[in-house]
Amino acid sequence: MFCGMIVSGASAAQKFIAPDKLKYPGLDFRIQEAERVLLDNGMVLFYLQNNELPLVSLSALVRTGSLHDPQGKEGLAELTAYMMRTGGTTQLGSADIDQRLDFLAASPSISMSLDSASVYFSFLKSDLDVCLDLLAQILIHPAFEEEKLQTALSLKKEELRRVADNPQKFAFREFNRLLYPSDPRGRYATPSSLKQISRDDLIGFHREYFFPANIILAVSGDISREDAINKIRQYFRHWKDSRQAINIEPPPKEPGHGIFFIRKQIPQSTVVSGEFTLSKNDPDFYAFSVLDFIIGSGGFPSKIFSAVRNNEGLAYSAGSFYRARSNYGVFGTYAFTKTASTFQALHLINSILDDVVAGSISQAELDWAKKSMLNSFIFSFEQPSQIASQQMTIAYEKLPDDYLSGYRKRIEAVTREDLKRVAGKYLNEKRRLTIIVGDTDQFGKLPEKWEQPVFISPQQ
Amino acid sequence: MLTRNRFCLLLVGLIIVYWATPLWAIDLEKKVAKARLDNGLTVLMLERKFSPTVSLYIRYRVGAVDEIKGQSGAAHVLEHMMFKGTTTIGTKNYAAEKKLLTQIEQVGQALDNERMQQNKADQKRIKNLASLLKKLQNEHRGYYIPNEIDRLYTENGGLEMNASTGQDVTTYYVNLPANKIELWARIEADRLINPVFREFYTERDVILEERRQSIETNPDGKLYESFMSEAYKVHPYGVPIIGYPQDLTYMSQTAIRHMHRKYLSPENMIIAVVGDINPSKTLKLINQYFGRIPKGNFRPTAIPAEPPQTEERKVEVLFDANPSMIIGYHKPTAPAVEDYVFDVLETILSKGRTSRLYSKLVLQMQIADGISVHNGMPATRYANLFAILARPRHPHTNDELQAAIFRELEILKTHPVTDLELAKAKNQLKMDYVKSLDSNSELASILSYYELLLGDYRYFSNYISHIDKVTAMDIQTAAVKYLAVENRTIAILNKKANEDASTGKNEK
Repeated sequence: MFCGMIVSGASAAQKFIAPDKLKYPGLDFRIQEAERVLLDNGMVLFYLQNNELPLVSLSALVRTGSLHDPQGKEGLAELTAYMMRTGGTTQLGSADIDQRLDFLAASPSISMSLDSASVYFSFLKSDLDVCLDLLAQILIHPAFEEEKLQTALSLKKEELRRVADNPQKFAFREFNRLLYPSDPRGRYATPSSLKQISRDDLIGFHREYFFPANIILAVSGDISREDAINKIRQYFRHWKDSRQAINIEPPPKEPGHGIFFIRKQIPQSTVVSGEFTLSKNDPDFYAFSVLDFIIGSGGFPSKIFSAVRNNEGLAYSAGSFYRARSNYGVFGTYAFTKTASTFQALHLINSILDDVVAGSISQAELDWAKKSMLNSFIFSFEQPSQIASQQMTIAYEKLPDDYLSGYRKRIEAVTREDLKRVAGKYLNEKRRLTIIVGDTDQFGKLPEKWEQPVFISPQQ
Repeated sequence: MLTRNRFCLLLVGLIIVYWATPLWAIDLEKKVAKARLDNGLTVLMLERKFSPTVSLYIRYRVGAVDEIKGQSGAAHVLEHMMFKGTTTIGTKNYAAEKKLLTQIEQVGQALDNERMQQNKADQKRIKNLASLLKKLQNEHRGYYIPNEIDRLYTENGGLEMNASTGQDVTTYYVNLPANKIELWARIEADRLINPVFREFYTERDVILEERRQSIETNPDGKLYESFMSEAYKVHPYGVPIIGYPQDLTYMSQTAIRHMHRKYLSPENMIIAVVGDINPSKTLKLINQYFGRIPKGNFRPTAIPAEPPQTEERKVEVLFDANPSMIIGYHKPTAPAVEDYVFDVLETILSKGRTSRLYSKLVLQMQIADGISVHNGMPATRYANLFAILARPRHPHTNDELQAAIFRELEILKTHPVTDLELAKAKNQLKMDYVKSLDSNSELASILSYYELLLGDYRYFSNYISHIDKVTAMDIQTAAVKYLAVENRTIAILNKKANEDASTGKNEK
């Protein structure tokens, strides 16, 4: 503690130096790496030690996803993941598992997304054995208790009932659904699909996707390399299966497009639109990331934010997103604006995209975006668990080995010509899907070049 | 396979082991450096070396409770205006710009005054003033470089740059590469001393959109607002942070300046810096920039206490959404002993699948979709609430779920919680504590919060030792005293009966 050692010498009248003229000391930064270990049974493990706190974190990615839901049984993948955690194991009943985990103040989360399942578990290092034992049981021998399945199904039905309650969440859900019109990715659970799901379906789904070569692990924290490897080997040694990891699903073919309205009597509209774009493995991924940053994900100085929010005061939230996957990507924009300015906000956003295609991005904007992305890159390495799970994700997505080490160099190389080229190639209003949730009767006159929007109602 | 009973015995064995191992006793106090500048500003510093980054928090003991009646939302509007630059950031020629800003304010205020006349207003005058305002605003753009503070931070690698306004406290924070601390000091000291409130009228529109987004279209926000205004009839905790629509619509720049003057008291302000720092160099830098703020003449706002509640209060909200509810009970705030007791009770009732309310209402009775319990709503400076948020599962109703919750709360008054429940809750609170030590921003947030509101960050480092002392009897006593019918406020959201929301042409 040092108190009162400061002598005040400065006064409020003193001028501040211009912020762009500040000189900074150098930054000592090297990329920390997790070690990749291949276990006997085919599991891949990324490991990084850090002893600051008595905690161990374990995460895992499994090659599966809700896009593998059988037709007519939508919701199966998600229920399987939920039931692995809550439906007991062949050794311990669900109530027992819940008691143990709650007492350990640790609970593995197992969540299903479109094209993967992810597991996250963080616990005290002194609980390593008991936690790994429980996790292994949950991953290898789930029991899918019938009674718990009925509860899970009822809770899922309730979730569907409530799907339209929050207009922003609802709009994004419908956007994600309509983006894939003839693809398993666009099929969502409904009350009738839930009725078709039985315990045997869960057992089958688990058997099909949960096996050693289909899972990648990351372990970090206060645990030695020997412990990490030996303990995982010990608890997962009986998990043997000769199958190879399943392949990444081919990208969706036909993207959804057109204008869809959902009527809800509220004073603010949610406007979401977007289209397919390039993947993380595409050489233009870096150019598109910079493009997205400048258009609307780079915060206040980005184009959508400053136009829709700053200049016009039309929205509190507005911007863009770029979700790049290993073999395709989705780019989109959004704004939440009062009913009367619904079309105005959408028009503003679409004209920003048109201008970008025409080459409106300045050298200053490009410099700002590149500096921002390069300088904040170190935050990808702030925590050991983040470093290990990041490498796990790179392996999962089959990105090149030098993805991280080459990232800055590739961002650095992006030019204005690249931005214009990728914008021209991927941004096209004709291919765009637009969803508006709001008080449709009050939107005013439809813009002239529009086709008649399609009204849809919440799927429950 | 273990039976449930034997399993419980095993747990009792484990409890002893747990008590004997002070895993949580990571000695934070030895690591935190606390210093006070001559002007009274308190600085907390904590060195963490894993990554060359730093998290920087500034908190002012100024929040929505400090607003003048009729100016609700002013603290939050000020927070937005603090991103509009300074006399040296965001301007091309401040002297010329200043004249224009004065004109904009005069015209904008005149326009507000006229609009406030409602149907007696002179529409022609409104039209003229509005177009004059627009013209001046366009002219102003020629002198102004928007979003300079944002550009400076992002360009230098800043992440999670933001601010938040609460009932008690306003916070400005950013994470930066560790070599860029001076940029933060330069920007923050400048915007504290020399802020310029640009784009005021457009920003006010933005905040009205924020209100629409978080309250008018959001069932949870709407229910929360109604609940708080019912629970607090006198104390300003009942007033929404974002402000009432009528106050917000006509918010004046005078109100914002009034709030800003409250910031200028270094003794009312805490800085926390956590990350890869050299504490003595960091302190020197902070003093170089923040030391120039003169000592304030801080006088705390006189805030009326909420009189003890004497009868149950109820309010119903009708909304286009499925049912939900909030139930709240008045109670003392931290660091009162009761507050620790309610932290333990919150955990026993709602954390984990075996917690009382989750296991009973969601898993056994199957009448709830979800349930959460929150001790200390809405904030910490004044006596607050122990609140239960719940949603019935169709076809069960709010009434049914409410009755079941009350039955569970009554049991707390007559039967002590079990040793197992108590031990489990304490383990969970310890785990939360240990996990919160794993992030620069979380540490900076927690340390500065308690230093500011309770006068000592050690509330946090001593937290677990206080939690350890909580007994089953304490919980029972607190339940009897505070979870009483007359001390209760209930807000219910029910689905508004309206015409079929899905009618329209081209139904698909």
